[in-house]
Amino acid sequence: MTLTQILKTLVTCILVISFLLVTVSAYQQHRTLSELAELSDATSSIATRLSVDELAYVDNGGKLHMYTLDPSKLEGLSAQWEIGGENFEFQVSVRYEAGGERVLGPYGSIPPEGKARCSFTVANALYENDRFLPAKLSVIVWRT
Amino acid sequence: MAHLNNDGVADVLAMAFMFVMLVLAAVFMHAYSLRPLRAATDRQLELKSEHLYMTMDLAWVDPYNVSFLRATAENLLLEQPIVPGPHLRSAMENVFEYLCPPRYAVAVSLSYDNALWELSWPEGAGLGVGADKQFTRQGGVRLTLAGGENIAVPVTVRIFEIAEA
Repeated sequence: MTLTQILKTLVTCILVISFLLVTVSAYQQHRTLSELAELSDATSSIATRLSVDELAYVDNGGKLHMYTLDPSKLEGLSAQWEIGGENFEFQVSVRYEAGGERVLGPYGSIPPEGKARCSFTVANALYENDRFLPAKLSVIVWRT
Repeated sequence: MAHLNNDGVADVLAMAFMFVMLVLAAVFMHAYSLRPLRAATDRQLELKSEHLYMTMDLAWVDPYNVSFLRATAENLLLEQPIVPGPHLRSAMENVFEYLCPPRYAVAVSLSYDNALWELSWPEGAGLGVGADKQFTRQGGVRLTLAGGENIAVPVTVRIFEIAEA
């Protein structure tokens, strides 16, 4: 085997190994990002369900007011839900302005360190002192 | 060092081609893998625009007992609306400043016949009609005029990416 043949074989091997490494790395990145996208969608689902059902204000006539939060429902909220066969935990807080910013919460579990978390904030109305105020619902979600 | 003949040059070219293919494949594979995350972010912004619309439809203008969108429709069509125009604009700007997602602007527009009511935040951001990334929620506010006429005023709430200078 001449020196040229050895060099060519070496370069080809390096290229093949590099290609395999790049493919494996891209696959791992794709998996990580897909999991993050799923977590993001789960977070959206949780925020929606909180806004239109779990935390929604119900008036004396029994009418459900979707997109209107009832602060009294925050304390009894279960902070672990199953969505699409996966278990998620979350922490929720509500912010609104009434002569300065006020914060209700956080309620629910404490977000763990070293796990992927997704935080999401959406606008909602808040029923407080017989008034409907603009407010922000924030959720931090992670896989159990 | 061995002298390269024609076969040697062809081998070097083949290896250079493989190297270029490797780099291109790496770039495409990594760029493609970001698509699900971008799509999920867009879905979240779509949801934010829905929530913002509903909040403007439900939350009251302080200190009045009328919602932002209803007060806006009254300002558009009635001579004596419950909420004065300047107060409504100021209150709405404050709410948008509080609720609008970072790096995004928001615009509200209502129109009926030839009457038009528009507001955008931050000031000067425009209505975002031609923005690259925009999330629009359209709806309507029902209003009963003095003569008993019941009309629906079309409303558009749009969240859009602020163009970088």
